[in-house]
Amino acid sequence: MIEVEHLSKRYGPHPAIDDVCFTVEPGEILGFLGPNGAGKTTTMRILSGYLPATAGTARVAGYDVHSQSMAVRQRIGYLPETPPLYEDMTVRGYLFFVARLKGVSAGDRAAQVDLAMAQCNLETEQDTLICRLSKGFRQRVGLAQAIVHNPPVIILDEPTVGLDPRQIIEVRHLIKGLAGNHTIILSTHILPEVSMTCDRVAIINHGKIVATDTPDTLMEALVGSLGYAVEVSGATQLLTQKLNAIAGVRDVQLSPLPDSARMLLHINCHGHSEPGAAIASTIIKSGGQLHAMQRTRPTLEDVFLELTTEEEPIPPVEDPEPIPDEEPIPPTEPTPEAANPEPK
Amino acid sequence: MTIFVNILAIFRKELQSYFLSPLAYVVAGVFWLLSGIVFVYLLLSDQGIIQEVALSEQSGIPMPPVDVPYLFLLRYLGIIGSLTSFIVPLLSMGLYAEERKAHTLELLATSPVYNWVVALGKLAGVVVFYITLLMPMLVLEFVAFAAADRPVPPAVPLLAHLALILLATALLSLGMFLSTLTSSTIIAAILTFTLVIALAMVDLVAEQLGQPFETAIAHLSLIKHYDTMVQGVFDSSSLFVFASYIILGIFLTAQSIELLRFQRS
Repeated sequence: MIEVEHLSKRYGPHPAIDDVCFTVEPGEILGFLGPNGAGKTTTMRILSGYLPATAGTARVAGYDVHSQSMAVRQRIGYLPETPPLYEDMTVRGYLFFVARLKGVSAGDRAAQVDLAMAQCNLETEQDTLICRLSKGFRQRVGLAQAIVHNPPVIILDEPTVGLDPRQIIEVRHLIKGLAGNHTIILSTHILPEVSMTCDRVAIINHGKIVATDTPDTLMEALVGSLGYAVEVSGATQLLTQKLNAIAGVRDVQLSPLPDSARMLLHINCHGHSEPGAAIASTIIKSGGQLHAMQRTRPTLEDVFLELTTEEEPIPPVEDPEPIPDEEPIPPTEPTPEAANPEPK
Repeated sequence: MTIFVNILAIFRKELQSYFLSPLAYVVAGVFWLLSGIVFVYLLLSDQGIIQEVALSEQSGIPMPPVDVPYLFLLRYLGIIGSLTSFIVPLLSMGLYAEERKAHTLELLATSPVYNWVVALGKLAGVVVFYITLLMPMLVLEFVAFAAADRPVPPAVPLLAHLALILLATALLSLGMFLSTLTSSTIIAAILTFTLVIALAMVDLVAEQLGQPFETAIAHLSLIKHYDTMVQGVFDSSSLFVFASYIILGIFLTAQSIELLRFQRS
């Protein structure tokens, strides 16, 4: 649905994006992830036909974004970084205006506007002037504007900026609900957003795509290891050696828990091995007491930092420390399957 | 068909925004006040036309008969033309500068709408607002002409007002182009005001230069053509000159918006 080949854009001598290539299949959600200034907005502006590229081609639904701009514009909904809102219009009036601009036929307009408002939860504010809306509502009007003409391709530049946590969840549900019938590209620098909404992720840094894959594969392939955080007390002598002997365990770090007699073990494992049961039984057999055990998974944040931080020349898979070992409390990464404490 | 729908959409939005803008009401108020004062002054004051004609009749010196409504129309629309030049920058300054400031240009530029369609819709909106400004003035004129001894043939005032609207449209079109150059409405207004002054000065400069420049520039001068039309002289070259300025403004606007895409950093 979207094919980007060797796309480059320069502002004077400064390259904003450099040789960017990716494709998005119909019905897919692609997350565009990168630090501020990485080239996300530039790429999206080129795809929307707003900016011309310096080199390379981009095609949306088979049409070239530059030479067949009008055909592309009819098929995309675009939410720019700053929602393009007219302060002196009401929400409904604004959406009608956009629907007219986007070529929604007169008969469908009212239904389309109502649908977009319902999808973005805007019904209560439909007669409010846009200048009176809060930031969250403005963002949602921007989103409604992008979907009001039911375009096959939707380009969203940071769609959840300025929303409160509940609205963020609603918008994510909305975006997921749009997938399938629509092809969506969204950019963000909020990492959990990508792992929760997107089918695939493209990580961009300094104008170059550094990785494209599903969030899960990226996390597994690039950091590669699962691990466990274990709280123990009692006989912890020789425990480290015994644990290290278990197949699949890569290394073990022991650190005292402050204000407690317990110790915290960080156990890193090799990829795809699950030695949790062996670890637990080893601790118990060696006379220790097991208070809590939690699976730790590398998060997209780890992946992202690996890929976008230049000070680390070590390849990510070789890096033995995805978890910082100074951390005094067990990591509480919000992966749902991680929470399986096994008290003795 | 789609193009017409788009023009209409932009036009309606633009017109609506004028009727919701406090600035537009201030401009309208000042325009109505000044045009009303001028109206009364020209017609009824001690130096007014009626007094002037009465004095010349009393003096007993034989004079060619004076067509009072015609003379009044000539002088009145001359002043309203100048007044229009002053309010045009205030009406046109926000046309694109506001869009640039509010980032809504990104919406227009990514919608399936041509730049010239947007420009034409916007121009139509502001011109219709300007015509609305003229309405109270027309009522005053209608009352005055109805009181004339001989009925005023409608063709002359119609042509004069058409000239006024064409003059305003041409200036608004150029002002619209100037408002694409900046995201500051104040700068846009100053640029347009400078242009209006420059267009007026061109005639004066041309007179100093002598022939053949004087004739050449007179052919291109908006004000000369305006004066000719207000006098009731219908010349297709006037229409042509006004249309050229209007189309030039729309063309430059469309090009300027296209160029903006390349400059953005």
